[in-house]
Amino acid sequence: MAADELLAAEAATRGRPLVRFYNWSEPTLSLGGFQRLADARATSGVGGLALVRRPSGGGAILHGSDLTYAVAVPREHPWGASAQLLYDTFHAALVRLLRERGLAAAQHPGRESAAADQERLLCFDRRARGDVVIPAETADGHKILGSAQRRLRGAVVQHGSLLLRSPGPGLAAHHAGLDQLAAAAGTWEPRQLATAWLEAVAGSEESTGVVSGYVFESGSFLTARRDRLEAAAARFASPVWLGRR
Amino acid sequence: MAAEPRFAKSHEWIRLEDDGLGTVGISAYAVEALTDLVFMQLPDVGRQVKAGESIGEIESVKAVSDFYAPVSGEIVEVNATLPDDLEQLGKDPYGSGWLVKIRPADPAELEALLDQPAYEALVQSEQH
Repeated sequence: MAADELLAAEAATRGRPLVRFYNWSEPTLSLGGFQRLADARATSGVGGLALVRRPSGGGAILHGSDLTYAVAVPREHPWGASAQLLYDTFHAALVRLLRERGLAAAQHPGRESAAADQERLLCFDRRARGDVVIPAETADGHKILGSAQRRLRGAVVQHGSLLLRSPGPGLAAHHAGLDQLAAAAGTWEPRQLATAWLEAVAGSEESTGVVSGYVFESGSFLTARRDRLEAAAARFASPVWLGRR
Repeated sequence: MAAEPRFAKSHEWIRLEDDGLGTVGISAYAVEALTDLVFMQLPDVGRQVKAGESIGEIESVKAVSDFYAPVSGEIVEVNATLPDDLEQLGKDPYGSGWLVKIRPADPAELEALLDQPAYEALVQSEQH
């Protein structure tokens, strides 16, 4: 979370979008910005998991089987103008990528009542407009990608989680990952998938005239900002932040 | 008679009332852009704020956003029923959907804000 906060500041300084892909060292439940900590702790299967709170909205995500990304966009950048535009830019690109591999991925139209979804702890049990799903026997399909944003003064940060593998027994045992839903479509190595996804984003309609491509940076700008990173990490690790609601 | 509302570039409005307090809300354009509101956190009464300072957060289905004090001053009242009835923000953003009342510290700050035509021009520019 601290690294993503610095990513936002860096994007605002550079005046262009920055993307980070990452994974987790241990199974971790990340709560949405205003989800109640007590509700999470009272949920069967949460005990024993590491807990963090994101600054972004949306539902809780059980990390460890997913590819997590954060994209930071300056507020004055065209992608920063609308929450749905940034959401759709990354989600529609993944849909195209999966379809090229023969999967019937689609963006969900969203449920009629957002209020009912708020009662569901997990992001992957909710359906918002634009979520990426793979059709199933139920109308809501299997959700494999969800994202949420924190809109700051200088930049927008969008967090997202792509479910690569089925989480296995426990809290999210009912969720299916790409490995289970799309085994026939090939392997889903995270680095290759991230690269192909970025290529799809850069080649999208939403990028026309806005983003001409992407470059990978060797090393990390974070290493040059260790003091700020550690200070932000301490803030996000504090009981005050985790228990803010 | 209350004055016409003036607007911050961050989409909050403030209307100076007859009692000298400034009623603050979020513009209809900004409320519409937020869509499907689910949670709001208002500031504490008595808090001293500076113009441009975050005074609360609002969550829609997919995004958490700050809202900011359009002028400096003291928060003297909050619309305490609003977090439990967020539909008021969409139904009546310039009336029952108000957020807080501020006792302005410097009337000149109000004059520096955008009037309605200037704000509408800002919205137009953001839509293109």
